[in-house]
Amino acid sequence: MTGVKVNNVLGSLGLGILAILITVAIFAPQIAPYDPHDTYKWMERPSSEHLLGTNDVGNDILSEVIYGTRVSLFIAFTVSITAIIIGTALGLIAGYSSGVLGFLIMRIVDIFLTIPRMVLIIVLAAFLTQSIWNLIVIFIIFGWMMTARIVRSEVLTLRSQYYVDSAKMLGGSDRYIIWRHILPNVVPLVVVQFIMEASHVIIAEAGISFLGLGDPVARSWGTIFNYAFEYPNIILSDAWMWWMLPPGLCIAATVLGLTFVGYALEERLNPKLKTVVGMEA
Amino acid sequence: MHYINKLAYYLVIILIILSINFFLPRAMPGDPLAYVLGENPDMPIRMTEEEREMKLAEYGLDKPLPEQYVDYMIKLSKGDLGHSIYYKNPVMDEILIRLKWTLLLTGTATVIYMPLGIFLGAESAWARGKKKDTLSLITILTVSSFPSFVLGTLFVIFFAFKLGLFPLGCANTIGATYANPLEEALDILHHLILPVATLIIAHIGGTYLLMRNSMLSVIGADYILSARAKGLSERYILNRHAIRNALLPIVTMAALTIGFMTVGTIFVEKVFAYPGIGLLLYDSVLRRDYPLIQGIFLFISIFVVLANFIADMAYVWLDPRVSDE
Amino acid sequence: MNKEKTALTLVFAALICSVACMAFSATALAEDGGVAITADKKIVRSVGGEVGSSDWRYPAPFTFYPRGPGYVRMSMLFDTLTWKDANGVIPALANGWKVSDDGETWTFYLNKDARWHDGEQFTADDVKFTFDYMKGYEGAFTWFDAIDYVDSVEIVDDYTVTISLNEPMASFLVDIAGNMPILPEHIWSSVSDPSEFKDDDAVMGTGPLKLVEYNSAEGFYHYEANHDYYNGKLIVDEFITMGVSNAAASLKNGDVDEATFWGSAVDAVKGFDGDDEFEIITGPSFWVLQMIFNCDADEGYPTNNVTFRRAIAYGINRDEIVEQKLHGGGVAANTGILHPDAVWYNPDCEDYAHNATRAEEMLDSLGFTDTNGDGIREYPAGAEKSGDLEFVLYTTGKYLREGELIQAQLEEIGVAVELTSSDWTTIDSYLRAADFDMVISGHGGIANPQILNIPDWPASTYDSDEYTSLFKEQETTLDIDSRKELVNQLQELVAEDLPVYTLYHPYIWCVYNPEVLDTWFYTRDGICIGIPIELNKLIFLARYGDANENGKINMQDVTQIERMILELDDETEMADANQNGKLNMQDVTHIELTILGRAPIRYE
Repeated sequence: MTGVKVNNVLGSLGLGILAILITVAIFAPQIAPYDPHDTYKWMERPSSEHLLGTNDVGNDILSEVIYGTRVSLFIAFTVSITAIIIGTALGLIAGYSSGVLGFLIMRIVDIFLTIPRMVLIIVLAAFLTQSIWNLIVIFIIFGWMMTARIVRSEVLTLRSQYYVDSAKMLGGSDRYIIWRHILPNVVPLVVVQFIMEASHVIIAEAGISFLGLGDPVARSWGTIFNYAFEYPNIILSDAWMWWMLPPGLCIAATVLGLTFVGYALEERLNPKLKTVVGMEA
Repeated sequence: MHYINKLAYYLVIILIILSINFFLPRAMPGDPLAYVLGENPDMPIRMTEEEREMKLAEYGLDKPLPEQYVDYMIKLSKGDLGHSIYYKNPVMDEILIRLKWTLLLTGTATVIYMPLGIFLGAESAWARGKKKDTLSLITILTVSSFPSFVLGTLFVIFFAFKLGLFPLGCANTIGATYANPLEEALDILHHLILPVATLIIAHIGGTYLLMRNSMLSVIGADYILSARAKGLSERYILNRHAIRNALLPIVTMAALTIGFMTVGTIFVEKVFAYPGIGLLLYDSVLRRDYPLIQGIFLFISIFVVLANFIADMAYVWLDPRVSDE
Repeated sequence: MNKEKTALTLVFAALICSVACMAFSATALAEDGGVAITADKKIVRSVGGEVGSSDWRYPAPFTFYPRGPGYVRMSMLFDTLTWKDANGVIPALANGWKVSDDGETWTFYLNKDARWHDGEQFTADDVKFTFDYMKGYEGAFTWFDAIDYVDSVEIVDDYTVTISLNEPMASFLVDIAGNMPILPEHIWSSVSDPSEFKDDDAVMGTGPLKLVEYNSAEGFYHYEANHDYYNGKLIVDEFITMGVSNAAASLKNGDVDEATFWGSAVDAVKGFDGDDEFEIITGPSFWVLQMIFNCDADEGYPTNNVTFRRAIAYGINRDEIVEQKLHGGGVAANTGILHPDAVWYNPDCEDYAHNATRAEEMLDSLGFTDTNGDGIREYPAGAEKSGDLEFVLYTTGKYLREGELIQAQLEEIGVAVELTSSDWTTIDSYLRAADFDMVISGHGGIANPQILNIPDWPASTYDSDEYTSLFKEQETTLDIDSRKELVNQLQELVAEDLPVYTLYHPYIWCVYNPEVLDTWFYTRDGICIGIPIELNKLIFLARYGDANENGKINMQDVTQIERMILELDDETEMADANQNGKLNMQDVTHIELTILGRAPIRYE
């Protein structure tokens, strides 16, 4: 197998996984056999009625996991899109206006990147009320720096290149240059960043929820896993197989899908790029 | 000159971390006093206005912010991180008695997974595009996409409960008596294996990929090509030239790893009831023991920043290009 | 040497050093607690909770965490004047006692054999010192502190004290005599900051166990037997309690010998049901989950209307909650708050059995009707509030699932509930400001009528003069039957007025390996002031009538005692119950009483 071929296979595999998960998330109400808040007999083993059985209060686990897809992916994508936009904007500013502002932004980026963010996120989550919106805000605050740094260095490279200079000579406005010349070159990088951020958030959110700091109403995969973990009989009975494993596998599958896609993209864009996917948490 | 710049930079970062820590309870919604005294669902704090004033004064919360800030800094410089609400002990003491376990856990994991990741990454890059590379790449990416707590829980279920090969958790056997220190060391080791394995698997992906990337860029370099042209054996080139040069970025990596590891242990320690700092953070989050939460945050952050600083210094010293800048 | 080479060397040197460090620290850690102890010791290991809830702080009298498990860990080391077993109050440091006719003076006859762990004799001085000390450092004893009732303590002789109260106190024998740990004067007389005193001496009492090691990281408490104990022979040598990751699995694996389960953990208990290796006992938790209503006359509309509260009560199906959330591991609560297994329980409180029709009729009668047909009732015209009848129901994340069930049940009677989960600090500030509709919260201690003081605690929006005066009256009524009647009335009032609607009482289970220890039992109305758990220090003692001292009372014991009395055995001195060197009828009577589980003869 050649490298390119492997990349293609991995990339499509990753895209496939993501496509399935996104479809599940969007059509959750149509796909899920029950409302995840409806209660039936508790702790049922899997049956034709409840394919993954029911949990300790009698919610259908399959439906819970399907709706959990929605919560987990919603958090991940909302955070990464916002963080990417903020990061790109700040990166452009920092790269384009080489003044005090640019310097300041980059210093902030450095500082944010040095502080162990996961610990700070846990601390913040402990101080704030448990809700997905608080989590989203916290993740955004700590999610934009890498993008800003990468966009800035790309802008610096591009700026020194010929066509931006000539555009300037021809009297193009800054905004025109950014839109016309710089953004199109930055977009592929940003897409990779988006994917990496999403995978960070999936893992980080699952971790936060596993510590019991997730939103108990809008149950993500991490929260479902946490409830299962806290169930006193989880190891002694077989319930872990249908209560713990599905949300756990969903988290892993999402991260894997994102990693594959990110890896394939990265290799194609720049085989020597040294960013690392899936390193945290 | 460069060293001084770096030093100043890291001092600023530490100052910022200290400030975040200072402003956290004061900027959050709710009563700052509640963050010092804590909450207890069975015994809510009920105070008259007078008692409240007294308590505020006792904790210095009635002073103007700048003055509080100075007080806070003076206390910190004496190593005083405040008192835990739950334990009624200095935060520092509670951290220190758990530190040994976390160091044992992360230390052992690091010692194993760093060389392993470097080795696998180098081998993989060297065999780029071959079956071996593809296989190890896919395996490692797949395995490390599992969050550590999922992996750890599965390990507990299979290896500890179903197969009975390892203990379910804790750092040593409850109530065991040992004939000699060696016996106890073995017991501790026995308890260490599953959590360490979890940490290694969850974290090896980063080192592996970095080493692989680093190697790939080295392999394309001129001196490797010329070595090949000289007809040196592949193994010889790999060992003598490629790995050595690709290792440079790993030095920086080693420091970053410490950060990821400390976070990773929170989850692993919870799953295995391992009595380290991570479990302490989890406990204090459960109990909303805010001074303790903040203390642990401060401790871990400064630890990680220092590690970064050392790595930075090492990098500057190693790579002449950086110091010439 | 070039830099790369140096760096590489350094990296590997560092790695090698780390490996060495690990090996070294493992060995060092090993030496820390590595005490070579010979086998044949009886060690009992109990689960002290799961991760995150197994530490109860240092078990000294002024440092333990002021909740049941914290007190119990301290009570292993320190004795009180009286104690409780499965049947009620029994002697401890006091052999016997009497109370004056006015109920204000108690005389205690102390045990002459009691010694402190360091060998010093226990005397009446220590008792007087303890009470004076507690009074001197008011508030230092953060546990249930009733010292204000005590006026003074007088020493009559070395082994007799009288305690004078400010007013008669019905619960004195339990709440004070059975609660205050007696401190050694020779240690504490020089301690001026009791809550900071954490030396080895701070845990030196007269109790059946001595503390060997405490470690907050693991919630690890390691005790050893005090084989010189005055109050019976110990049947264990060491006792350990600590946190584990999963109690049920640890028990199955044999890592521990006993664990407690509670409420919905009934599923884990069922896993031990058919297992011959384990035995299970069930007890009351003396704990209640309840829904607090805002009864405040100004802020509480419409929950300050009693008919409205009753309608909500009829609309809630408590059996469904018990079934769905606890899996049957509990029982719908006494609406009068006190636990059905407590002696003070009033079985005649109105229970508001689920009746949606009745609830709807009551709401209709109050003018809450669904005028716009959206399934949710509206406030009556001209009321304080208008629009949909919607409430905020606050709870901490723990009881969210109960909240969800109530939300669904109330929707059926046309009441909309917005469920909000919040941290306790926030909820408590709402309770304090009477700025809430309904709150789900729980508390323990419901074997003790004192808990009825503020029925809607931790809120205090319920205001009834009748209730307050009834409460005051029962507090000072010494006659058990009259007091019981008053406590009954209090419960009926709560059930009628519904400042809180109680939801359920969970059960509690103790699962243990009888091979290791099989003396586990549940204390009458809970240990001390009502701690429901099974860690009563009496489990470590050979029981009354246990002539073999093997922890079990059976026919073998009776036979052995008979043989002893008839002097057919070498160990005749064991039948000398008075230990006066003579065998006589008094001994026989004494032994009979002890076999029957009655308290030993009291001095008069």
